[in-house]
Amino acid sequence: MRAELTPAAVALVVLLAALLVHDGLTLARHRRVLAIQAAAFAAGALLIVFPEIARRLAHAVGIGRGVDFVLYPLVIWLVRESLLSRRRYHEQHERLTEMCRAVAMLQARDVRGESPAGRVGDPARPAP
Amino acid sequence: MPAYNEGERLTATLEGLARGLGDRARATTVFVVDDGSVHALRTDSLRQVTSPMRVVVARHPINLGQGAALETARRMALHPQWQPADGPFDVLVTMDSDGQHQPHDVLKLVDAIEGGADVALGDRFAGGSNVPSSRRIVLHLARFFERALTGLALADAHNGLRAFRPRAMAAMRIRQNRMAHATELLQHIARAAFGRPAHAALSLVEVPVSVVYNDEVRAKGQRASGAVAIVVDLMHAFLFGAEPSEPV
Repeated sequence: MRAELTPAAVALVVLLAALLVHDGLTLARHRRVLAIQAAAFAAGALLIVFPEIARRLAHAVGIGRGVDFVLYPLVIWLVRESLLSRRRYHEQHERLTEMCRAVAMLQARDVRGESPAGRVGDPARPAP
Repeated sequence: MPAYNEGERLTATLEGLARGLGDRARATTVFVVDDGSVHALRTDSLRQVTSPMRVVVARHPINLGQGAALETARRMALHPQWQPADGPFDVLVTMDSDGQHQPHDVLKLVDAIEGGADVALGDRFAGGSNVPSSRRIVLHLARFFERALTGLALADAHNGLRAFRPRAMAAMRIRQNRMAHATELLQHIARAAFGRPAHAALSLVEVPVSVVYNDEVRAKGQRASGAVAIVVDLMHAFLFGAEPSEPV
């Protein structure tokens, strides 16, 4: 098995290395994340420089091209991650809405100044 | 009544409402929800012009959207803390704060509820409104969309002027913070109108109302692109929304 150092392969490996260095500087406190990222990047670089590895793995599981062996799970993972992020965003937004609503109801006032004393705004009896 | 950056226009709307409701103003409470306006509402300026109505103002700390503001108002209106001393409200009405809805139309909706309907929806097309042609097209497309989605054959599917009997309003929990709340409300109404057992089903009527499209209303009104945002929001709710739970 020999290395295939095409210009595209070199550019991709340089890009991965640059991203790793950048994240190493900005995420220095998150060592576990960095370690996982470094391992994923190393595996990616290996598959780029030695595409025969991906090719053989692909053939072993019945996929025609080595690149597809990488792309298929990657797409599945990205779609799943995107949906999970959306769901988390939706849940956080609902919580934020309920918090804003609670504040609004707690501070609601009758413009005639006839706030229901002992009811809204009373910390002892917060509005639901 | 949701309000966002309405300023003097809200004051004029409330003043017109207090005047237009006549004798009924004294028995009316308006829940204004300031949806995180840049400049908070000045409640002291409202006091004089809204008499004898009772006006309660709540303010969202940040802008959430019209649907969220309506839901806040809905919860306040149903909560015993804000109800009159002699019991719950008889009729609950939603309307816009920019002056496009008329006080006499509010009374028509109230009459419809007092006449036996559980839900009364304003129909701007039957009421001789000066609807701009571009808006008319979008609203007619919305009718077909809502009919396909809810089964309700309405003449005007997206009118903010609506009235509910309290038991109907209790089933109208709004989770859509932005403009998709109108569709969500129709989904609730359809579920309740076609509900089983039949005696528990809500009755629905459409009432001709006149919506005024002046320059200010047109300037601030929804753009046609808002329809796309509504569909996206509905899709999000379909995918990620929690299952309907007990009414709040």
